Amino acid sequence: MTAVQDAPVQKAGAPPRQGRRRRVPPLVWAFLLLPLAVELFWVFWPAMNSFSLSFTSWNGVGAARPVGFENYERLFADPVFITALHNNVIWAIGFGGLSVIGGLALAVALNRPGRGVGIYRSAIYLPMVISLAVTGLFWRVMYQPGGPIDVGLGAVGLGSLQQQWLANPDTALYAVLIAAVWRQVGYIMVLYLAGLKGCDPSLEEAAAVDGANAWQRFWKVVMPQLRGVNTVVFAVTVIDSLRTFDIVWAMTRGGPYNTTQLLSTYMYQQGFTLVNLGYGSAIAVVIFVLAIAFIITYLVRQARTEEV
Amino acid sequence: MTAMELSRRRFLLGAASLGSVPLLASCVGSGGGEAGGGQASATITLQSSIQDTAPKAALEEIVAAYQGAGAPVTLNAVATEQFRAQLSTYLSSATPPDVLTWYAGSVANSYAAEGLLMDLSDLWTGDGACARFSDALRSLSTSAGGQAIFVPTSYYWWSVFYKKSAFASWGVEPPTTWDGFIALCDQLKARGIHPLTNGIGSTAWMASGWFDYLNLRINGADYHRALLAGQRSFTDPEVVAVLEEYRRLIPYFHPNQTSWDSQQAVTPMVNNEAAMYLVGAFVTQYFPEDQRDDLDFFSVPPINPSVPSAEEAPTDGYFAAARSDNPEGAKALLSYLASPEKQQEYITKSGSSNLPTSPDVDTSGFSPLVQKGIQLLNNTEEITQFFNRDSSDALQTTADAALTRFIADPTDIPAHLRDWQAAAQQVFSS
Repeated sequence: MTAVQDAPVQKAGAPPRQGRRRRVPPLVWAFLLLPLAVELFWVFWPAMNSFSLSFTSWNGVGAARPVGFENYERLFADPVFITALHNNVIWAIGFGGLSVIGGLALAVALNRPGRGVGIYRSAIYLPMVISLAVTGLFWRVMYQPGGPIDVGLGAVGLGSLQQQWLANPDTALYAVLIAAVWRQVGYIMVLYLAGLKGCDPSLEEAAAVDGANAWQRFWKVVMPQLRGVNTVVFAVTVIDSLRTFDIVWAMTRGGPYNTTQLLSTYMYQQGFTLVNLGYGSAIAVVIFVLAIAFIITYLVRQARTEEV
Repeated sequence: MTAMELSRRRFLLGAASLGSVPLLASCVGSGGGEAGGGQASATITLQSSIQDTAPKAALEEIVAAYQGAGAPVTLNAVATEQFRAQLSTYLSSATPPDVLTWYAGSVANSYAAEGLLMDLSDLWTGDGACARFSDALRSLSTSAGGQAIFVPTSYYWWSVFYKKSAFASWGVEPPTTWDGFIALCDQLKARGIHPLTNGIGSTAWMASGWFDYLNLRINGADYHRALLAGQRSFTDPEVVAVLEEYRRLIPYFHPNQTSWDSQQAVTPMVNNEAAMYLVGAFVTQYFPEDQRDDLDFFSVPPINPSVPSAEEAPTDGYFAAARSDNPEGAKALLSYLASPEKQQEYITKSGSSNLPTSPDVDTSGFSPLVQKGIQLLNNTEEITQFFNRDSSDALQTTADAALTRFIADPTDIPAHLRDWQAAAQQVFSS
């Protein structure tokens, strides 16, 4: 920035050079266009393909048969799709809510210096290092009949709560949800910790002098300063909850009888297990539209509040 | 300055061309695994979905020993799920793997209809490797168009497995009638033993094992095949009768069956907490080595005496891609894999209880269990495969949902069957 502003002053006697500077050098074009081409080919072209595939019936062999809106009509008559949509709403609220509340609480608790804070922070962040598929396997062992959770419940006298967590349609989705939150909470905590480090402590001190209590200081002084982090956290959470796939697939595969099916797992099952590519693409399009709609409405609202 | 520009430009060009090579290569190779490149005609690629440790090692060993037709063989092992998903891509790519493992049944037939499978008829005639295989295997390996498209190399039977020592210590005998079976279950349950085990958690398809057998015993193989082909409805009174019999069995299953997979379901049997398991012969691998000789089995007893006897015997083997650029090499490898010596070697080394498809295999060295399995299949009138192999994977997911839900709440059978029929209709109409 400064170099560009300074340049005309220093070299005022060389107008041709100025002209050259305004022209974007070919190298920059190359650096822009090459990645764009790669992006178009590897990301946008497949995405567009999945749009066009969603209007066909295709099992990957031979020519795709165009069927118009049939796949979409089928979707809304498909009880499994409705269950998956419903589960995605529960998932977005539960996963988003619990991990944000938990992450924020942990960040605030662990933001002050104290003995062993580093250890707590790393311990909470540690699950993030493990891949979701492994997390799923680990929690499947935890939830096994006669596994640590059932044994633990029995040991504290809550034996009546013991059950087959992942095989019971009433508990399976929430059991998976807890495993996913267990992992996500550390990530959100780190984001908020970074945000809290950027907060101005003197504002909080000033508020304390003015007689604000701890809750008021947090809600009225710290939270507004975290607005940038909140945007990131919201976007990350919505996207993560819509794309959640691996942990559900590793733990339940959408079962028992489709009660833990999410849009992503149902899309995978239709597209890749049953090679029902047209129908699977239609589900993928629904996921895409939902994600985009969420993000756009949020960004628009965010932009409006910033203008005011 | 110009020199620098030039070299910069040359660098970019070089980078671009360097970059495009792997791109192009990956385009070509994405279908054919490692098969891409100029050497494809010389090397035969065998794409395998076999994942269990011992069979995988056995196949690797057999392939490593292959010296036929002067062509080296590359073995690619791919996880079964991924293999299934990519099968169509493999077969339709420009440089497909030459030989692929798969199951006999509807999937093979649908690819054959698209012209993606090599015509293997000459292996089935004259002195071809499969010429002496049984007629049942021949019809199983023939497409609707009348071409042989499949080389079956092993199959296994489904039956009710139990431990001889456990039955002896409980003082019970394997039943020969359906009433005797139910009585045995009652007797075991009264002693605090779970009569049946199963694993329908992450392997929900295991629930279809009992469905298949009850349908075979009550309505017969012809009805079963017609039902799976969509010519009958799951709301038929015949299917209601099957589920009513299934409902009688539910209290006898180990309650944890809904959390286990097919492998974990063996645990209570190992510990003598459960007595019997309707499963394929692959189950022997799941038992600890010192208990394998203790295993025995009996066929699901007849229920309706007027239907012919039937057993399930899923068949595994190989097919070849029509677009293989070395068809002779592919057939040579198939003949090698189907030869009696290699079938025997594979079965011995893999430690499974699979049966050979070649009548020329010397079976005298096989375990008594396998010999009994061979006898079971030789003496039955009808052979079916398994729910998904007789129908399709898509219909299997409808069975998984319907049967696991029915097992969780068996009160309203007609409602479950209505839902099942609705889901099956979607499969048949799409």
